[in-house]
Amino acid sequence: MTKLKHFLAEVLGALRSLLADDSAKSTMIVGILIYSVLYPQPYVGEVLRDVPVVVIDQDNSSASREFVREIDVTEWVDVTISAPDMETARDAFYRRDVYGIVVIPAGFEADILASRPAPVAAYSDGSYLLIYSNVMRAVATVAGTMGAGVNYARLTSLGVDDGVARTMLSPIAVTNVAVFNPQGGYASYVIPAAFVLILQQTLLMGIGLLHAGRSLPSGRKLWATITAYFALYMIWVAFTQMTIPYLYSIPRTGDLVTLFMIAIPFICACMAMGFAIAMAIPWREGVVFLLVVIGMPLFFLSGISWPVEMIPEHLRALSLLVPSSTAISAFVAVDQMGASAQDVAGAIQTQVALAVVYTIAAVALSRLPRNRAKALP
Amino acid sequence: MAPSHLPPGFRRIWRRELRQIATRPALAFMLVPLPLILFLVLAVVFAPGLPRDLPVAVVDLDGSTMSHQIVRMADASADVEVVEQLATLSEARQALVSQRAYAILMIPADMEHDLLLGQRPEVVVFSNSQFLTAGGIVGRSLTATVSTFSAGVSLKLLEGRGIGTDRAMDLITPIPVQQSPLFNPSLDYIQFLLSAVMPTIMQIFICAAAVLSFSRERHSPNGMARLLRVSKTPSRAIFGKLLPYTFIGTFVLLLGDVLMFSFFGASFRGNVFVFFLNGFMFILTCQALGALIALIAKDTTGALGMMGLIVAPSFGFAGVSFPRFGMTAFSQIWGAIIPLTPYLQLRTDQTLRGTPLEYSLPTMAWLFAQLVVFSALLWLMARKTMTQTPVVADEPTVETAEAAQ
Repeated sequence: MTKLKHFLAEVLGALRSLLADDSAKSTMIVGILIYSVLYPQPYVGEVLRDVPVVVIDQDNSSASREFVREIDVTEWVDVTISAPDMETARDAFYRRDVYGIVVIPAGFEADILASRPAPVAAYSDGSYLLIYSNVMRAVATVAGTMGAGVNYARLTSLGVDDGVARTMLSPIAVTNVAVFNPQGGYASYVIPAAFVLILQQTLLMGIGLLHAGRSLPSGRKLWATITAYFALYMIWVAFTQMTIPYLYSIPRTGDLVTLFMIAIPFICACMAMGFAIAMAIPWREGVVFLLVVIGMPLFFLSGISWPVEMIPEHLRALSLLVPSSTAISAFVAVDQMGASAQDVAGAIQTQVALAVVYTIAAVALSRLPRNRAKALP
Repeated sequence: MAPSHLPPGFRRIWRRELRQIATRPALAFMLVPLPLILFLVLAVVFAPGLPRDLPVAVVDLDGSTMSHQIVRMADASADVEVVEQLATLSEARQALVSQRAYAILMIPADMEHDLLLGQRPEVVVFSNSQFLTAGGIVGRSLTATVSTFSAGVSLKLLEGRGIGTDRAMDLITPIPVQQSPLFNPSLDYIQFLLSAVMPTIMQIFICAAAVLSFSRERHSPNGMARLLRVSKTPSRAIFGKLLPYTFIGTFVLLLGDVLMFSFFGASFRGNVFVFFLNGFMFILTCQALGALIALIAKDTTGALGMMGLIVAPSFGFAGVSFPRFGMTAFSQIWGAIIPLTPYLQLRTDQTLRGTPLEYSLPTMAWLFAQLVVFSALLWLMARKTMTQTPVVADEPTVETAEAAQ
């Protein structure tokens, strides 16, 4: 009993020295809180709506006006300007007043009436993919629906039976069902993933700040320190994976036990790596610098925004050395897709292996004369 | 510190700073090789430009000639590779959850039979939108495949009714849409992401280098007063200390861009001079911001942390992935005070878009305004901290940075 009491006192002592170190406190506590407010801000809109577009209606007929109206009422775009010619439209585009140009050529209605194809053109900036897909989706959807109406009228006028006309024009129905993030929300896509990386980076940084260039505490004190960080980060796991989604209305389906089955080995792997880095780089500022700059590249190696299948094998293998490379998609699978422990077994194994490897590395590095000489005063 | 024979002033500060870099190999490594290594890693990641052959699974409950044909067509498309044929939808769900497939193509039982009877069977594509990029690509590709197949059947049916092929084609798509992705015709991710990610990382490097440089003075006892003694004026101290990093930053940024535009063939349609000026102003602005943070913060790691908090999430605020006009007012304002936002906008204008110069002037003025404001604040802070009454250095603070080298 007294042993346990002593141990708990040392755990509290470790937490107290974390709080006493301004840099460590602002990284491992205040930083995460600020991030949880700041980071999601650009994405809280979730879905991009009402991209401003300009329309050049060279036909000015009732059919072309209907086309424009139909585009305008879609949620994807908003027709903000009607331009007489390409010159004016281009001007608005370069000014970034609009992000798409829709052209309805003269003869649009006449073509429809004469049963000829009546093409329209849509231009948008291919270097902003989200904007581009909104503009094209709006125009293609309206062209599709209007076209179907036109077709149907044509066929029935040829004497084709009602139902037959429908099946002839589209004999197979195809539906695309978006699963796990049905509205395709941007916050739902990026936030759960990003906060796994934020956990890793702040934990690595915090350990670097508290232990780089210093010798490790010995024996029971070391275990107490590890327990303290572990406990703190278990709270952060729950906060970032449950409270933050709740605050930003991000749907999550994950089950708590499975979440911790990946979170516990992940946090252990990060802690071991943190100590290994702290022992390897005795320069606190250097540790922080390194971790700040590699954050974004690590996100692109996680497979969330860029498919892992496209990452060359050697680089993928190398990236496995960082816990986030497998943990991020495993967290997302558990939280957002309801994966079971078996579904993410590979990632769990990787985390356990990393925890072991980095523990060995940290212990070995701590025996370097450099790390032993500077015993705590 | 080695005695310097130069009189106090700009040249002495400049020499002193270069010496400080030279005697810190870890710092030198972080200034030039590290950003280049990170750039190469990202370049290798995005080198394919477009995701191809992404894994999808098929649940073919029909097993007819037609359903086989649809599966073959899906597999043949560039975006998608059919990696698994599964018997049930629950197995398919499993494939999605364990990330073996980004989408499921579900062909219902009796599809061919229903199709021939004119009963419009429904083919369903389940795409994983939690992986927005990959799920979106495979979802669109599979839907397009089924539509193409459907159009083929439609053509046959219409021809069977005695309607000629050309006429039948016209009937199938009465309002064709000519879709033009301007500036980036293949919707390449190198143009879209890599060319924005690289400056984002450079922004962190440039700010961090300035933070470390000024923290060395600010956070050592009486460092700022000493800096004033060897520089004479705050402006000379600022220029002398920051200029080495300006050159290094310009060199690395340019090297990255040379790779982008030559090796990866990213398009450059703008004005070279404006492009260069933009990069130069961007570097100066980041430096002023970094140095300012160092003078405000309590210690070096605190300064780096504060910088990380401001600079690290800036990619989102700059509106590359989710556009700025779709953001809340707070995010738009926050984005507006970060150097990356005007820099990237001007960069897109002067590389991809080939925007006529007059349209880029407001963006240039915006970046310039940031530079003026940050520099003015930096100068004020530098003067204030340099002339503060010196404190007696009685606390035995051993700068770990100094000790480590």
